[in-house]
Order: sequence, then C-alpha cells, then structure tokens
Amino acid sequence: MRPLRSRLFAALALTPLLAGCFASQGGEAQDDGNGGNGSRLRVALAFPPAERLSPYGADATLLSRLGVAEGLTTMDANGAAAPALAASWRQVDEKTWVFTLRDAEFQDGTDVTPSAVVNALTRATRAEPAPAALSGVTLTAEADGGQAVRVRTAEPDPILPLRLSSPALAVFSGKAYGTGGDGGRVDPVGTATGPFELTEVDGAASATLDRFDAYWGGRAQASGIDARFVADGTARANALRTGEVDIAEAVPVAQAATLDEDTRRDTATTRTTALLLNSSSGPFKDPGLRAAARAAVDTSALADGVYEGYADPGAGVYGPAVTWADGKRRKPAGRAQAERAKDTPITLATYDNRPELPEVAQVLKQQLEKAGFAVQLEVREYSRLESDALEGKFDAFVLARNTLVDTGDPVAVLAGDYTCDGGYNIAQLCDKDVDRAVAAAQRTADPGERQDAAMAAEAEILGTDAVVPLVHQRIITGVGTTVRGVVLDPYERALVGTGTRR
Amino acid sequence: MRPHLAALLWRTALAAGLVCGIGLLPWLTHTDPALTVLKARSPERDPTPEVLADIRDQLGLDSGPSALLAQWLGGLAHGDAGRSWISGGEVMPAVLRALGASLLLMAVALLVAAVVAAAVCARTLHLGARRRLKGRRAGGTGSAVLAALPEFLVGSVLATVVGVQLGWLPALGWYGPQWTVLPALALGLPAGAVLGRLLDDLLPGAFGEQWARAAAARGLPGRRIARQAVRRCLPALLPNLGLFVVGLTGGSVAVEQIFDIPGIGRTTLQAALAQDLPVLQAGTLALVLLGAVATGACGLAARLLVGPALRDGALPTLHGPARSRRSVQPFVHGAVLAAVVAFGLPRDPLALNTGERLQAPSPAHPFGTDALGRDLLARVAHGALDTLLLALAISAAALCAGVLLGLLPRLSGPLVDTVNAVPAALAALLVTAVAGSGTTTPALAVTAVAWAPLAAHTSALLAQERATLHLTATRSLGASRRHLLRRHLLPAVLPPVTRHALLRLPGIALTLASLGFLGLGAQPPSPEWGALLAENQPYAERAPWTVLAPAAVLALLGALAVTAAGGVRRPGRQRRNHGSEAPPVAPPAAPAKELAETR
Repeated sequence: MRPLRSRLFAALALTPLLAGCFASQGGEAQDDGNGGNGSRLRVALAFPPAERLSPYGADATLLSRLGVAEGLTTMDANGAAAPALAASWRQVDEKTWVFTLRDAEFQDGTDVTPSAVVNALTRATRAEPAPAALSGVTLTAEADGGQAVRVRTAEPDPILPLRLSSPALAVFSGKAYGTGGDGGRVDPVGTATGPFELTEVDGAASATLDRFDAYWGGRAQASGIDARFVADGTARANALRTGEVDIAEAVPVAQAATLDEDTRRDTATTRTTALLLNSSSGPFKDPGLRAAARAAVDTSALADGVYEGYADPGAGVYGPAVTWADGKRRKPAGRAQAERAKDTPITLATYDNRPELPEVAQVLKQQLEKAGFAVQLEVREYSRLESDALEGKFDAFVLARNTLVDTGDPVAVLAGDYTCDGGYNIAQLCDKDVDRAVAAAQRTADPGERQDAAMAAEAEILGTDAVVPLVHQRIITGVGTTVRGVVLDPYERALVGTGTRR
Repeated sequence: MRPHLAALLWRTALAAGLVCGIGLLPWLTHTDPALTVLKARSPERDPTPEVLADIRDQLGLDSGPSALLAQWLGGLAHGDAGRSWISGGEVMPAVLRALGASLLLMAVALLVAAVVAAAVCARTLHLGARRRLKGRRAGGTGSAVLAALPEFLVGSVLATVVGVQLGWLPALGWYGPQWTVLPALALGLPAGAVLGRLLDDLLPGAFGEQWARAAAARGLPGRRIARQAVRRCLPALLPNLGLFVVGLTGGSVAVEQIFDIPGIGRTTLQAALAQDLPVLQAGTLALVLLGAVATGACGLAARLLVGPALRDGALPTLHGPARSRRSVQPFVHGAVLAAVVAFGLPRDPLALNTGERLQAPSPAHPFGTDALGRDLLARVAHGALDTLLLALAISAAALCAGVLLGLLPRLSGPLVDTVNAVPAALAALLVTAVAGSGTTTPALAVTAVAWAPLAAHTSALLAQERATLHLTATRSLGASRRHLLRRHLLPAVLPPVTRHALLRLPGIALTLASLGFLGLGAQPPSPEWGALLAENQPYAERAPWTVLAPAAVLALLGALAVTAAGGVRRPGRQRRNHGSEAPPVAPPAAPAKELAETR
C-alpha cells in the first residue's frame, strides 16, 4: 500500500512539471542560426504590451522602440518631422498635403504602395477609440499617382507631418488588418516595415524579433532581438547586472547606484514633474497663496535629494530635452504677490506608479508646511486617483507629464492641461489670457513661430502660478558594456536601431 | 449523502455570489470601468468623453451588469470565459497558463515548506522519539521570526544575494526548474515556519499518548514512533495546508513581481485594478475551484490517515504534558521591543532632510536614515503603537470570528475555502464596495480574510476532539452539548488556535500595508511598520538597514507573540481528563474560560 501511495504522490507532484508550466524563452533556438552575422540583442522592457501590441494604443511605442514599425515620417532630435517611409512631402493647400513614398518593402515581402499606406491610415482613423494622435482630427487619405499619398484634413492642420510621425500611425501591410473577425485587430507580426520583424509574441511576457534584411534604411547590425517585458524595475536592473539582458529600459532611480557606472546612461526626457495647484476651488483659488506655494518649493532639493541627480530642476513646462525651449523662454509676467499662509489646510495628492512621486510629495509636504500650510497627503494607484483629480477634489497634485504627448506638438499639452476646455486640466485653470495665448499658438503654422508662440503661452501659464514645475526627469537606461549604438531618445520613441549591436 | 449535497449547494452558491459580486463591482463602487480600462491600456491617454464612450461601446458596458454577467456565464458553459477588456485576448487560455505557472511555483514552495517545517519540528521529534520531552522549554523563537518575515523581503534578498551577487541561480524569469528555486524559497520559508509551528504545537500531545508509551516500552525504534506521531498530528494540520495551497497559488503577487513570474496572482491583481471583469471573474473562479479541490483532497488525506478512528470516536485526546518551566524569552523580547519604542519616541519620525539620505547607523541615527533622510529609529518607534494596536485588534476579531465559525464546520468550510481563494486586493475592493472607503475599511478588509485559516484550524481540531474517548465517556454520562462545548471542546481548541492567531499577527500588519495602493490603509508619511518595509524595499540592497530595522521589529513582535502564547500559562489549574493543558492567557479566550469556571 505505501509504495503505491508514494508513487502516486510523486506522479501527482510531477504532473505540473510535465504540463509545460514554464514560459517560453524567446528566441534562444535561433541564436546559433545566424552565427557570425551579428549576435542577437536581449532587451528588458518596462511596459508589457497591454493590447496585444495594437498600434492604436500605448503599445505603439513598443513597436517603434524595438524598430518594428514606422510611419510616413519620424521625429528628429529637434522635435521636427523627418522623412521615414515618405521621402518628401509638400503642402498643397491649408488642408491638403502630398507625401511622396520611398521604395520600401513590407516584412511580408510586398511593396509599400500608396494604396497600402491609404489602407493603413484609413484603418487608423476608423479605430475605436481613435488613436491619441488623431483625437479631434478628421483625416482622409487617397492615392496620388503611383508613388504618392494625398492626405486631407477637415480643419487646417499645420503639424500634420509631425502628427504622422506618431507610432500610432505606423504603416502595416494589408495582411495585418485581417478580416475584422477579431474586433478589427491589427497584427504587427511580420507585417511592418522596420529593421526588425516580430516573429513571435508570448503574451505579455516576451517577444522575439528577427532582422528584416530588406529594410530600406540598410541591414541592421544585430541579427535579432529577444525582448522581455519585466514590469519590476529592480528585476530589470538585476537582469542587466547578471548579464541576462544587454539593455534594461527605465531603471528606477533607487536602483541606479547598484549598476556599474559604465552601464548607466541617462537621457533628459520630455517628462516634467510639476505641482499643479487647484485654481478654481479651495485655498489655491487665491493667487497669493499659489505664489506662496511656488516660493516655498525648493526644486534642487528634489532633483538632488529624491532623483539623486537624475533630474534637472524645473525650469518651465518644457525641460532641457525640448532643445529649443531654453533659448526661447520668456519670464512669466503678472505673478501675484506671495501671501503668508496661516495653517491653511490643503490636500496634496499623487500616485505611486512612479516610485519617486510619493517621495517628492513627502518632501513637498515638508517644504509647504514650513511656509505655513497644513498638508494632508493622499497617495493611490493612478487609475484610482485620476477621476478625483480631474474633478478638482484635491488642492494640489504632483503629476509627471510627458510634455510632447502623442503628436510631438508642444502646443497640445498646453491646450489639454491648462485651458478652460482642456480635457486633462487637473489645475482647473481657466484664464482668458492663457486661453488666448494657447489659441494663438495653435493657429501658428511655421514650426519656429509655433515654438515662439508656445513659449509665450508657457509664460502666461507660469504667470498664474497654477503650475509649479518641479523637475525634468532623466531616464536611466542600463546598457551592457559590450553594447554599442543604443538609441537614447529623449522622446522615448526609439531604443534599438540599425546600428545597435553587441 | 444529504449533507454532501447541501455542502455542494452552499459551495456553488458562494462561488456564484462571488462571481456576481465581481460582476457588480464597478457599479457598487461607482468607479467607471471604461476609465480604469483606458488607464490600463494607455496610462498617458486623456480620458475625453469620446474615448470613454468608444470603450463603453466596445465592451458593451451600457447594457448593464446583469446582461454582461449573463453573457459571460453563458459563454462559460461552453468553456469560453470571454475576452479580456484590456487586451481583447481570450481569457481562458491566458488564465490557465498563469494558473499552471502558479501551481508549479506553489508545488515547489510546498516542498520547501515541508523541509522547513521538518526542520522546525526536528527537535521535538528527536526528543519525543526518545521520550525526553518532559520539562523542555517552549522554544520556537527562530521559527516565529521566520514566520514573521515578509515574502517580498525574503524574495528581494534572495534575488540580490543569491541571484545577482553570487550568481548561483537565475533571479529573473520562469523558464525551467532552476528558475523555481529562489521564488519557492521566498514563499516556502515563511509558510514552512507557520506549518512547522502548528505541527510542533501538536506533537508533544501525540508523544504523550498511550500507544507511544507502549511502543517505546516495546522497544520500537524512535524513528517509527516519530513517524506515527507525525501521522497522528497531520489531520489537524491538513485544512491549513489546503489553505496554503490556494494562498500560495493566488496570493504570491510580490514574489511573482520580484522574479517576473507570469502567475495568476499578478494576473488577477492587475485585472482587479483595471476592473477587467472577465479576467477577474475567471481567475477568481479558478482559485475558488482550486480551493474546493484542495479541501476535498485534504479531507480525503485526513480520512486515509486517521479515518476509522475519527468515525468510531476512538481517538485519545491530543494534549501534551505541561511545559512546566516558565520561559524568560517573552520578557526578553518584550523588553527589547519596549526599549526600541522608548528610545525612539522622543525623536521626530517625520522630519526629513534629503541631505542625510540613506545614512548608515551612527550615534546620531542608531538605526540609520531612510531615502528621505528620516531617522529610522523614530519611525519604527512611532509606528509601533499604530501597528500593534491595529494588528492586535484585527487578530482578536479574526480569532473570535474564526472560532465561532469554526464551530459550525458545515457552514464555514466552504466559506473558508471561498474567502481564502479571494486575493487580498479583491477582498479590499469588495469590502470597499459594501462599507465605503472609510477609515475602518482596511481593517475590515483584512479581518474579512484573516479569520479563514483560524476557522479551518478550529474545525479540524474540533473534529478530532469530538472523536476522543473521554468525550464519548462524558457524553454517555449524559452531559449536554453546551456542557461539552464549554467544558471540553473550547478549552481544548482555544489554546492552539490562539497561538496560531498570534503567529499570524505580523502577517496581518503586512497585509494592511499592502492595501495602501488602493488608497486604503496607511498613507505616507505614516510610519506604520508594513508601510515602512514597503517604502524602503527599493533601497534594500544599497542601504540594508532601512528594511532591517522594520523587519527586525516585526520579527521580534512575531517571536514575542508566539513565545508569550506558549510560555505564559495560568498557574494552579489542572484539568483532570485533559492532562494538564490549560488555555493560555489571551484576551479573546478569556470570556469562554470565565464561563467555564463559573459552572
């Protein structure tokens, strides 16, 4: 009886082992197949795909960071549109642009033709919900001869080429769009145009990519990529330290010191952490108290003390990653005189999805309490906090915001966050002068003038003291010592390029 | 057959109620699922009304919860658990894969736990086999400390030290057998310590029984006696083992996170936060089913081990000889804890100075400073009162509920399984839905799940106690059920269950802290101990003292609780038909005891 029972037990214990309960380990098998032809890169990415790598949501950034998908244009280091699948473009009239395509091939072997591009753009406009880059824009595309695409918008859109650089508007071959059986899903496996081709996606755990040899921009040096999605920042840093990966994305500040100095790269990003003060209700309705709060904040204590130097003290809405901003910055005018707070009770809210923010909030609490405020902290997970924040339930809010959202257009963030009609107006700011300045910037077509107008609007906004820029975050990328050519992109749209190798 | 059918019905009703509760969650909490789904998909996306309307359309939210639920249940009948609201992928394969990974992790962790439990009991077994248990001191500081260590701390230490610095084992991923070792250790060490303590609590009783004496007198080898003693004690432990099976499968979120394991804990937590109802329902249902299966298996195992004896009422009582010597351990532990609090209280726990961040221990900061330059001694001391009071109150409430419900095993058995299968975050969300997000909500949420293992323990002990010979005798002498309960059952069951509750006290403090991200529980900068551990975890490698101090006091609390429960006894009271075991002095046990004495 006993031997039988113990054997049964052993069999039971082994069953889960046999059932294949382990995750598959990317493309280890293909590793030797390309020997001597550039080795594969192993990358640990921070954000797992949320929507099965659909290009219409946040996953689009993953596709562009791994060099899988591209659009008609791309964004250059100065935040201007640069050629990608479109070799050139011209504006026909206010609402019409013509993009001339280059000779390129999809990863499934078909050519990039105007009709394929038209199909891709039309699909994007029909996606529900619409991609963020297309929100509020009505766009139609049609073929214009054998080598060009004509794009029309319902309203004049001065930043259309920049808009088309959004990863959400990447171009896939007809095969990607299927027959609509799966809720209109776009399948990016083997259907994009970038230097690397997705061959296998293992849910939200890993993805395998091979080099796409017929890439128009030249053959990539690495023979492929094994990407793993590791949500935990410490785990990503550990993976790099043990040599399990070559590149670890977004290493948390707290872990930076554990990495060897020659494996740490930090890049200024367009992400600005700011203190938003509720200017329509509560104590901060009073501009004098807002000014007092601004005066109380010591941004260098945050940049050095909390971010350990991996951040620049807040200069304005745009940080140093927006290269043109500093030269065009104007001094905010019409700031109110700071009043003395007398034990004024305020609630200061923030979220813990970014580990530094609760620490920032605690430092701010002390700084504001020195200035006479009585601060109550509220820290939650972001999705549990946002609707309260948008309804103005908090007096102050610490927010890390990407200032070149979606389109790369600097004005979009101003319109969304600081105007009366803005959809993301946590500061509850409604100021005629600000609205006027932002509207003027939105109308400006010439890129240089648009930047000037954006900076004028920024000065108006800072003048209200509804927003106190705290720090401009630098992102830390862990890069193995043998790896060369990692693309450290301030806009966080690229990571692996044709020149990346180890 | 009737009772079985009733239990099955009750179990089904509970599972159905849970699934319906989840289905109604967004409507009960007034949290728009379209918004949470959008944020899970694209955190940066502005929630404009158009976008939210599109998502509502896509998910069919406007048709209301009952239609959605009916549709989901209809699909489930064909093995289709719907599509995830976030990714749009099919739920069933994803949940099954995650469950597979978690089951494997659980199996290996249980193996580790078994080894640890064996190590914890080794001394008792060794002495018992040689009949030298009399008069030994109540030990167990080591296992109590181990049981109080939070999994995530053990996990990050193992990952950093063994995985990264020594490079012996891979610290990241889930690709093969060698990847299972470190996470299983992180989960198995504390679990094994708890199980080991429970077993260690019962073993002296088994060694004190007649058969053991007879076997020893006959000259049977000590090893065989020890094996039979373990077999004798296992049935009382099995229900708790069953709970660990489910708890380790669904509740190891932190360890899954640290080692990047695609398990079901993370899947359901993510789904709970994003209100991805199809995934949450499927995941919870899978865990509830697993709970039922585990309970069934444990019941079967108990029957195999002592079945006939249980049925025939032929078990002797399982109460060990009194541990006569009083231990000084609880006083030492208590004194150290009191000293830490006394020295820390005059200091300021909130004054931060970013210039002095992560300073090593020094005369100015005896415990060092944290990432914001706050004095850790002050924080630990100021957090003590809140942590202790709240954790004690919750433990007491859980003990009362657990014992009361444990007395009604038919009612509570399925309830215990169901509650135990519910992930803590989901329990908190459900409690919030019912009670609102007040200050008592986190305590309620933790109490709502903390009673389950105690009830299971009570039921198991009761079943054994009811089958004992002296009870049969008392019954045949005409004792009423009340009398039996008060004079015999409760006094026999309360001491071990109380010790069990105290053993879980540090764990309760940690669970409380883990609810912080829902906006429940302690908010920064509060120095509550669980919160201290959580906020300093990222710095564990650079500044070990930041987690060492809170972990040490928590472990000390665990040791104090356990040694105090084991060592402090009421003097001068002997129970004739019970050996000399008397209930320990613990607040929740007191009323029952007073009653017993007045009769």
